[in-house]
Amino acid sequence: MKDRTRNIIQTVGFLVLVIGIMIVNICLPDTELSVSERRKLKQFPLFNADTVTSGRFFTEFEDYALDQFVLRDTFRSFKALGRFNLLMQKDNNDIYLVDGSVYKLEYPLKPNMIVGAANKYNAMADMYLEGLNLYYTIVPDKNMFVAEKNGYPSLDYALIEKLMAENVKDMTYIGIYDKLTLDDYYRTDIHWAQENLFGVANHLLSSMGAEGNLKKEDFTAHTLSPFYGSYYGQSALAVKPDVLTYLTNDILDGCTLHDYQTGKDSPLYATELFGGMDSYDVFLSGAKALLSVTNPAVNNGKSLVVFRDSFGSSLVPLLAMEYEKVTLVDMRYIFPNMIGEYIDFSEYTDVLFMYNSIVLNNSAMLR
Amino acid sequence: MIFSSVSFLYYFLPAVIILYFAVPKRAKNLVLLIASLFFYFVGEPIYVLLMIGSSLSGYLHGLWIGAAKNKRLPVASSVIVGIGLLGFFKYSDFFISNINSLVGSDIGLLKLALPIGISFYTFQILSYTFDVGRGRADVQKNFVDFAAYVALFPQLIAGPIVRYTDIERELKTRTHSFENFGLGVRRFVLGLGKKVLIANTLAELGQTFLYSDEKTVLFCWLAAIAYTLQIYFDFSGYSDMAIGLGRMFGFRFPENFDHPFVSKSITEFWRRWHMTLGSWFRDYVYIPLGGNRVSKLKWVRNIFVVWFLTGFWHGAEWNFIVWGLLFGVLLLLEKLFLAKLLDRLPRFVRHIYVMFIIVISFVIFDASGMSQVITKLSDLFGISGLAFSNAITIYQLKNYAFVILIGAIGSTPLMPWLVEKLRDRFGKVLNVIEPVFLAALLLLVTGYLVDGSFNPFLYFRF
Repeated sequence: MKDRTRNIIQTVGFLVLVIGIMIVNICLPDTELSVSERRKLKQFPLFNADTVTSGRFFTEFEDYALDQFVLRDTFRSFKALGRFNLLMQKDNNDIYLVDGSVYKLEYPLKPNMIVGAANKYNAMADMYLEGLNLYYTIVPDKNMFVAEKNGYPSLDYALIEKLMAENVKDMTYIGIYDKLTLDDYYRTDIHWAQENLFGVANHLLSSMGAEGNLKKEDFTAHTLSPFYGSYYGQSALAVKPDVLTYLTNDILDGCTLHDYQTGKDSPLYATELFGGMDSYDVFLSGAKALLSVTNPAVNNGKSLVVFRDSFGSSLVPLLAMEYEKVTLVDMRYIFPNMIGEYIDFSEYTDVLFMYNSIVLNNSAMLR
Repeated sequence: MIFSSVSFLYYFLPAVIILYFAVPKRAKNLVLLIASLFFYFVGEPIYVLLMIGSSLSGYLHGLWIGAAKNKRLPVASSVIVGIGLLGFFKYSDFFISNINSLVGSDIGLLKLALPIGISFYTFQILSYTFDVGRGRADVQKNFVDFAAYVALFPQLIAGPIVRYTDIERELKTRTHSFENFGLGVRRFVLGLGKKVLIANTLAELGQTFLYSDEKTVLFCWLAAIAYTLQIYFDFSGYSDMAIGLGRMFGFRFPENFDHPFVSKSITEFWRRWHMTLGSWFRDYVYIPLGGNRVSKLKWVRNIFVVWFLTGFWHGAEWNFIVWGLLFGVLLLLEKLFLAKLLDRLPRFVRHIYVMFIIVISFVIFDASGMSQVITKLSDLFGISGLAFSNAITIYQLKNYAFVILIGAIGSTPLMPWLVEKLRDRFGKVLNVIEPVFLAALLLLVTGYLVDGSFNPFLYFRF
C-alpha cells in the first residue's frame, strides 16, 4: 500500500469512527440502569444559563456521555483486556481474577473501623439486648482464601478477630473461618453459596445451644442459571457465570417471611428477582432493613435476632430450621433508635451479630 | 475540556471537523476561533473573557508597535499588560503569603482560580509583540486571525508554545490534504495512547502512593520513577495530540520533546525537554540580557534569571523556584567543568547521572511546598526511618512493572527507529498495519475513557 493510500485510509477511518460514534451516541435512546454495574446511569444534565455559565453543565455532560456511551460494556471489556493482557497489570478497578473466579481487593485493614464495628455492636447490646444470649461471628470475604497466596494485598483476618475480641463486650465469639473454603463462595459474586453452608450453619446452631444437625439430604436443591454475580459486571470480562442454588424442604416451605417495611408476608425465596439487578436477591428478597422468618414447624422456645448483611440472607433459612422465629436486622439501613419501634427484643432468646470482613473494615456504613 | 475526554473525542472534535471542512477557506479561521472559544468556555466559562481581553490587548499592541517609531514603549506596554495579568492571576497569593510571612502582616489571599493555559497564551502573545517590535513578524491586522492564533484549541491549554512566526504564514494560507490529515491522525492517536494508557495508569500508582499508610523506601522510588515517566508521557502525549490536531487543520506546530530521557547531560536534557519553552526563554530573555556575550558575572546572572523564571513559570510555589534554580546550578556547573568531566565517563554512567537528577528534580516538582520537598527527599533516601520494602510495595511493583518498562522503552527513540527500519524494508506491509493499529489504539483508549473517571492532566496548573 502506498503512503497516500494509507493517509486516505487513516483519514477516512478516523472520521468514520469519531463521527459515526458521535451520531450513534446522539441517536441512541438513553438507558436508565446498568445491570452489569448495578447502578443508575447519568441522564442528560439540566441545561440552562446557570448550569452553563457555572460550568456544571459541561462537567455533568462528560459524566453523562461516559455513562451513555454506545456499547459501553464492550468498551469496558477492551479496557479490562488492555490492563490484564497488554499492560500485564494485576487488577482492574481493584478487581482481579484467579482461576476464572473474580475477586475485589480489600485493603488495607483499618483497625479503627473494626473497633468502630465492635463499639456499634456494644451500643446495640446496651440499648436493647440485656439478658439475651449474645454471640457474634465474622464472615470472611473470599479474598482470605486467595489474595495472599497469589501475591495480592490481603487483610489480616486474625487481627480482625483479635480486634473484635478485644473490643466486643460480653458476647461469645463463634469462629467460622475453618468451616469455609474457597469453593463455598460463588466465582462471580462476593457471597457464599447457600448449598455449601451446612458446616457454618451447624456450627453456629450448636454454639448457640440448638441442635446443629442439618443434613444436605434433608433439602431439595433448586438451581437458577446463569447467575451473573456482582463481580461479573465489575470485571467487564467474559467469565463463566455461576449457578445459583437455593434449598427447600417442607419445613422451609412452611416458613413465612415478613417485611416490616412493607408489612407484607412472602415465601423465603423470591425467584422472580433472579435475572434482575442483583440475582442474589432471590434469598429473602435482598437488602432489607428488618425482616423476620417464622417457622411454625419448630416449637422449642428458641428465637433469634440476627444483625446481618447480605451474607445472612442465604444463611438464615438454614438457621431458621431450628428456631421458632428469626428476625433479621441490617444495621446499614436502619438507625438503632428506630429498631425498638418494630421489634420487642424481650420475645427473643438469642442474638447473633454477623457481618462480613468488608463491612467490618468499612464500619462507617453501620448506623 | 481536555483532549482525553469523551466530550472532546466524540462530540467536540467531530463537530468541529465537519464545520471546518464545510465552510469556505475565508471562514475557516473564524470557525477555529469560535470552536476554540467554546473549547475554553467549557473549562473556564468566565475566564474566556480574560483570554479574549488578552488577545485584544496583543492585537492592539501589535497595531501600536507597527505604527510607532519608537517601538520600546508599546512593547514594554504589552509586557506590562501580559505579565501583569499573568502575575495577578497566577502569582498574587504567592506574593501575598510571602509578604505576610516576611513582615508578619495579615493580608487576605485572593484565592483566584488559575485561568487554564494562561501561562501558555501569555507567552504566545508576547512572542508576537516582541517579534513585531523586532521586525521579525508583520503586524496582524485581522483580529479574527490573531485571536484564532492565540486561542487555537489544539495548543491553547498545554502548548507547545507556538510563536506567532511559527504559523504566521499558515494563518493566511495553509494546505489541507489527506497527507496532513492522515499524519495528524497518527500523531494525535499516538499521543492519546501515551496520555491515557501510560500517563493515566502511572498516575493511579501516584494516587495509591499518596494515600498509602505503608510507604517504604522502595515504594518512594517506585512512585518517583513512575511520576517521572508519567509527567513525560502526560506532557509529551499532550504535545503530540496538539501537533497532530494542528496538522489535521493544516498547521505545523513546533516539536516540544525529543526523547529527553536519553540525554547524557542536563544541558542536553533541556535541549530535548519542553523545547518550545526553553527556546522562548532563550530568545526572549537570555539573549536580550546578553546571553554569554557578556562578562562572566553577568553571564551567570543571565543563567540564573532564566532558570528562576523557568521554575517560577511552572508554578507559584518555592519548590518550583528551587526546581528551576537546581537546573540553573547544574547547567552552570556543566558549562564550567562538569561537561568535560562527564565526557570522560562511560555512556551509561552519564545516563544514570541524568536520570538520577531528573527523578529527584521531579520529586521536588511534584511536592506541594518546600516542607513536603524535605519530607519526600528524606523518605526517598531512608532518612525518615521508613522500612525498605513490604508486601504492598512488592504488589505495586509487580502491578506496574510492565507499564514502567513500556514507559522506559517508549521514552527512548528505539520504537521510532525500529518503525523506520521496518518501513525501509516492509513499507507496504507497514502501511496496511498502521491504520489497523491506530484504530485499535483509539478503541482501546476509548475503553479506558469510558471505564474510568481517573483522567487528570498535570499541566493544567500551568
